[in-house]
Amino acid sequence: MKTISLKVNGKPYTVEVEEDMRLLDLLRDKLGFTGVKEGCAEGECGACSVIMDGNLVTSCLVMAFQADGKEIITIEGLQSEDGTLHPIQQAFLDEGAVQCGFCTPAMVLAAKALLDKNPNPTDEQIKEGISGNLCRCTGYAKIVSAVKKAAEYLNQGGK
Amino acid sequence: MELKKVIKAEKLDEVLNLLAENRERAKVIAGGTDFVIQLREKKIAPEVIIDISDVDELNFIRKSGEFIEIGAATKFTTIKNSGIISDAFKGLKDAAGHVGSPQIRNLGTVGGNICNGSPAADTVPALLALGAVAVVKSKNNTREVPLEEFYLDRGKVKLEPDEILYAVKFLNSKPGQGLGFVKLGLRNALAISSISIAVFVETDNDINCKDVRIGSGALAKFPIREKEVEAFLKGKTLHEDVIEEATEFFGKILEQRLAGRPPVEKDYKPYAIKGVFKEALNKALSVVC
Amino acid sequence: MDFNVIGKSVIRVDGLAKVTGKAIYPQDIYMDNMLFGKTLRSSVPHAYFTLDTSKAEKIEGVVKIFTAKDVPGHNSHGVLFKDHEVLCEKKVRRIGDPIAFVVAVSEKIAAEAIEAIEVKYEEIPAVFDPVEAMKDEIKVHDGKSNIIYHYKLRKGNIEEGFAQSDVIVENVYNTSMVEHAFLQPEAGVSYVEDDGTIVVCAATQYPHFDQLEIAEAMGVPAEKVKVINPAVGGAFGGREDITLQIHLAMAAVYTGRPVKAVYSREESFYAHSKRHPEIIKIKTGANKEGKLLALEAEIIADTGAYASWAINVTRKSGIHVTGPYVIPNVKVDAYAVYTNNPFCGAMRGFGATQVPIATEQQMDILAEKLNISPVEIRLKNAFTKGSQTANGQTLTDSVPLVDCITKAAKAIGMF
Repeated sequence: MKTISLKVNGKPYTVEVEEDMRLLDLLRDKLGFTGVKEGCAEGECGACSVIMDGNLVTSCLVMAFQADGKEIITIEGLQSEDGTLHPIQQAFLDEGAVQCGFCTPAMVLAAKALLDKNPNPTDEQIKEGISGNLCRCTGYAKIVSAVKKAAEYLNQGGK
Repeated sequence: MELKKVIKAEKLDEVLNLLAENRERAKVIAGGTDFVIQLREKKIAPEVIIDISDVDELNFIRKSGEFIEIGAATKFTTIKNSGIISDAFKGLKDAAGHVGSPQIRNLGTVGGNICNGSPAADTVPALLALGAVAVVKSKNNTREVPLEEFYLDRGKVKLEPDEILYAVKFLNSKPGQGLGFVKLGLRNALAISSISIAVFVETDNDINCKDVRIGSGALAKFPIREKEVEAFLKGKTLHEDVIEEATEFFGKILEQRLAGRPPVEKDYKPYAIKGVFKEALNKALSVVC
Repeated sequence: MDFNVIGKSVIRVDGLAKVTGKAIYPQDIYMDNMLFGKTLRSSVPHAYFTLDTSKAEKIEGVVKIFTAKDVPGHNSHGVLFKDHEVLCEKKVRRIGDPIAFVVAVSEKIAAEAIEAIEVKYEEIPAVFDPVEAMKDEIKVHDGKSNIIYHYKLRKGNIEEGFAQSDVIVENVYNTSMVEHAFLQPEAGVSYVEDDGTIVVCAATQYPHFDQLEIAEAMGVPAEKVKVINPAVGGAFGGREDITLQIHLAMAAVYTGRPVKAVYSREESFYAHSKRHPEIIKIKTGANKEGKLLALEAEIIADTGAYASWAINVTRKSGIHVTGPYVIPNVKVDAYAVYTNNPFCGAMRGFGATQVPIATEQQMDILAEKLNISPVEIRLKNAFTKGSQTANGQTLTDSVPLVDCITKAAKAIGMF
């Protein structure tokens, strides 16, 4: 066992992790952030994506001990405490970009990672931004419109 | 071996000391995008894992004299967005931008791309075409090896158990030079290369091929230089018919090389190479400045 | 009339839970005192086997290893035929057949125990080609023909139809097996309530039928089984057959504790059905004007080791092989055949997806031979209101095919 400290959604945690544990397991099994999904365990589907120190990463490919000292954002960190949705979440709802929902948390985070750096992305840039996230319900067109709508909401200072 | 210890290193010295101490028992993890999968599939079973992803001394892109040096733990995203790598060598940035997905590029490193020895590593053909040199360090030694001599076999590079790839370096661009990169995969994101080609050209009067280096991926056991095609082009004037001839020649070489391979390789790649190579060469010519 | 929903954009009811990450999929359920289950699957396609679980049982943390003899009720399930075994008793019929279910205190220990189970296979000849399988020389299910279904469709006079045709095109088309790859791999949790009711939480397309299958395998009345369907991460037909539901129920009843199982992506590929690959032999005849006069087809659908929905899927292929076209003379024979391949069942389209590859290709080739446009030949033969399908259904309601083709053709500049 090894003790590490990290911040998840702004809150500090000090936890014991097994040597062979992945960040994905730490977030889900130890810390209860089940909005982080495991779809393939090899970085192909993107469902386990989280934002680590500002960058989108697949948490199935990060060892838990590597996350020592890191700041992680999961889907649970987006909604305000008063229940107000993050503009990206609102845009996904409004545009009907949610079907089975298993890709949704990571898709929203991929959009956030993109829009944090590029507030006015083109369609091509949006497609590249979500290119590491699979949606098997084939809802990509609506997801792209949702990211565009989210950019609008954010540029207007939130919906 | 049972995994006993995991260490998140902060300093290069610490990494080199740990490697000297643990040798075969230890494995280095950087981006983890291949490592974690191999660990879970039990293809590797180290006793000690040393994380170098946050060692600042391994994370840099810098000009050093007439060279550009890239630290081994530099992430693909950093290379893709680098302002230090010149427009003439945009092919290297393109290669880094073709790796996996945004998530993979935010984790994966150029050192990992090289040291995993995958035949389909995306940045390696570009580095080979740039004539890059691998800088290898151990506790008591630093040595340099031309990247093309760094490979032993599929998945195997010339690294001793106490050594680490420290950086790759190549000569900075000069007027008349350009690098083009093209990857052929099943789709744009998250596809392993079926073929990747990087072409470095140096021209005079915009059209005479003074020098050329071609790096290829997924056409041999590991990424290689395509020296026969280089020899074919060197000294020639790069008119369209010469380029056409070179592509045909490249196709013939692959027909021979891949003769014993499954149909998807032996029938498809010698044919597909023509388009891929031509595009890469034209890209290289288009960025010559 | 003013509608509340029709014609309006509505927010889906489960949307909020999904965009906030609060939606609970089966793998998101964690219970106190929970055990973990893992399945041992066959590594060979056709064999008799014996198991030695003694070493695995001794591993600390292993609670129980279930094999066929531990199934309390009927050791079988299946949507049409009960041809799957809950856990194979002595014979496996495909790579991936479940043969043991290990329950342990952690996933890691369960995985270790799976590796410690010794399986001895006595391999027997297997059949992978459905055409070979139709000869019944190697039988996938003892005492049963491999041909499990023959759909026959006859309309008009096929010989006359071809005799009158000016152009005849005949080809064989092969379609491939397709995996659903729904994003959420199979997972589930089972526990027993105070009154003895067995609860199974699993993402399924068929909770009411799962209830019956679990009850029969557990040897209890259906009212003693409750199936809870939490959020489902995609299905596309791949969650119509039982995967881990009965294994979990057995384990929960035996141990008295909640038991959870989560498949890896790889195991998910092994566990559920695929789209039937089909061999479609097809002959299509038309007159000089491009009017279809005859169509003859033989379809062989490879259902792999188990039937699942093979009959319904194959029938649908047989019906849809005419395409949406009026053809006076039709002869179709569609077969569903067992092999030792991965089993096939429902997947998006249910047999209607495979055949257009053949039908529409034939239309293009006919058009080329007749020197008319591919749009024209389709418009000439398209179903309209009042048309009768080859199997005798009169289309009485909206049939906007001609409009659709015309609009599409205009949009791509072919009209």
